[in-house]
Amino acid sequence: MTDDVMRFFATWLFTHEAADEEIKAAIRRGIAEGPEGMTGGPDAFVDGLAAMVEEEKEKLKLDLEARARGEQASEEKESDPALDEIRFEVAELRGRLDTMESLLETILRKLGE
Amino acid sequence: MPSRNAVIVGVTLGQLVRQLPSARFGLAPGRVRRAAWARALRLSFERLGPAFVKLGQLISVRPDEFSAELVAEMQSMQDAVPPIPASAIRSVIRHEFAAEPEELFASFDDTPLAAASIAQVHRATLAAPCRPVWGAVLPAGAEVVVKVVRPGAAESIRGDVAIVRRLATRLAGTRFARRFDPVALVDEFAETVDRELDLRKEGRFADRFVFDFRDDDKVVAPRIVWSRTTAKVLTMEHITGWRLSDLETARAAGVDCKGLAIHGATAFMRQVFVYGRYHADLHPANIFVTPENTIAYLDFGIVGYLTPEERMNITQVMAALVYRDPDRALRYSEKLGVHVPPEHIEPVRRGLGELLDGDVRPDGTRDFAHFGLGFLKLLGEHDIAIPGGYGLLIKSLATVEGVARALYPEIDIVSTARPFTTRILGRAMGDPVRVRERMPAAVRAALRVLTE
Repeated sequence: MTDDVMRFFATWLFTHEAADEEIKAAIRRGIAEGPEGMTGGPDAFVDGLAAMVEEEKEKLKLDLEARARGEQASEEKESDPALDEIRFEVAELRGRLDTMESLLETILRKLGE
Repeated sequence: MPSRNAVIVGVTLGQLVRQLPSARFGLAPGRVRRAAWARALRLSFERLGPAFVKLGQLISVRPDEFSAELVAEMQSMQDAVPPIPASAIRSVIRHEFAAEPEELFASFDDTPLAAASIAQVHRATLAAPCRPVWGAVLPAGAEVVVKVVRPGAAESIRGDVAIVRRLATRLAGTRFARRFDPVALVDEFAETVDRELDLRKEGRFADRFVFDFRDDDKVVAPRIVWSRTTAKVLTMEHITGWRLSDLETARAAGVDCKGLAIHGATAFMRQVFVYGRYHADLHPANIFVTPENTIAYLDFGIVGYLTPEERMNITQVMAALVYRDPDRALRYSEKLGVHVPPEHIEPVRRGLGELLDGDVRPDGTRDFAHFGLGFLKLLGEHDIAIPGGYGLLIKSLATVEGVARALYPEIDIVSTARPFTTRILGRAMGDPVRVRERMPAAVRAALRVLTE
């Protein structure tokens, strides 16, 4: 039983290690090779994606470090897109009201004539 | 007085006859002959007025349906017409607002800034501050431009469209209309022109554009003055700068043309891949670089819209181009309506692979236009129908590449697209619906690899 558990964790560790090596190699290829240097096909896309995930990881690390120093993380500084969208819709509505108000003034002027 | 029908037929025949010597009376080689007929059509369209100028512009963005010679000729179509007197423009403003321009603006310039087939543009200054839908307030005294639909333009265009539709019905089914459905094209054209005749639609798109790029201080578009806007009058911020034909002056003034080329191309990809709504009438007159080192997009009369599904499929096709993956390109083109019959799949795949592998420029950069237009040609060679939106998008991307190259000739648009497409597809991987859809296949593939 103990042997089985040990074997299970050893397999898990081995898989993890192999996957880690593979992803690091993909990141290296993705960073080093522009699309011109790639052989092409779905593997090239995976390398490119891995390179971007690495970029994201570095950003996350910086954010966590900033948070540990008590600074505001960059993600928190970004405005909420849903709120912005509502603000835009309200502003657009205001634009339409401006046009309607101007139309009303036009009608009044025409009536006045 | 001859009927409009007779005028249209007469002008077109007249121009065709004038081109007979260039076409060596029909005996010249195919390309020369087609170029001559195309020139005749372009000249007659210019003479026939706004509806035909617009029809020519539509043909110029449809390389999927018309010959390369006709598309090239229509691209050189001049939409610059002699200006109409300021009194006519003033009468439209008076009709729309029941007030003189001087009552609406602090000043109004009678000399037109530009005159095109549908509208004429005049300078003015704001009498009072204006709070636009998005962005900073335009102060009193701010310079604006007033775009006014030419009197009678709507009626004359609609009348001509009706005539052209009748002609298209007669043309349908003849050998001249093998590659396209003329009635569908005229209907699409009528829809585009109708949209352009209501200037409020252009204003709304400009507002949306300003909002979409609110986090990007390098991309600008005019803010709209809604209190001075109706269907026939559009008042917007006056943005000044250099046209792409005047880049030497811009460079001398310290504008970073390389940075703006990359940024401009990226901004266009953002419109297509992220928002699914894009400026579909990009040509050198509609883009400025400004002294503030920004790129300004103008004139949102012709725009394209994509559904989220189309957007994702187009992103996949772009990713296929970036990563040279012909299978991905074919799979997602199929989803966009490009149906390749089974017996043509292998030759089309081979041709596509050759296009993707082709480094056509001497500096080693890859050329989107070569791929996109080559793909359309390849499909045409196999008699495969191309959906309208697909052709328009490829043309738009090729135009963006052309514009970016005007700013910076060494730009590699394919490399510029790489982070965009990769990031969007990466983000899509986390979509719960997609995960649920793909997970069984992913598990099966993993088990297959493990048991091999």
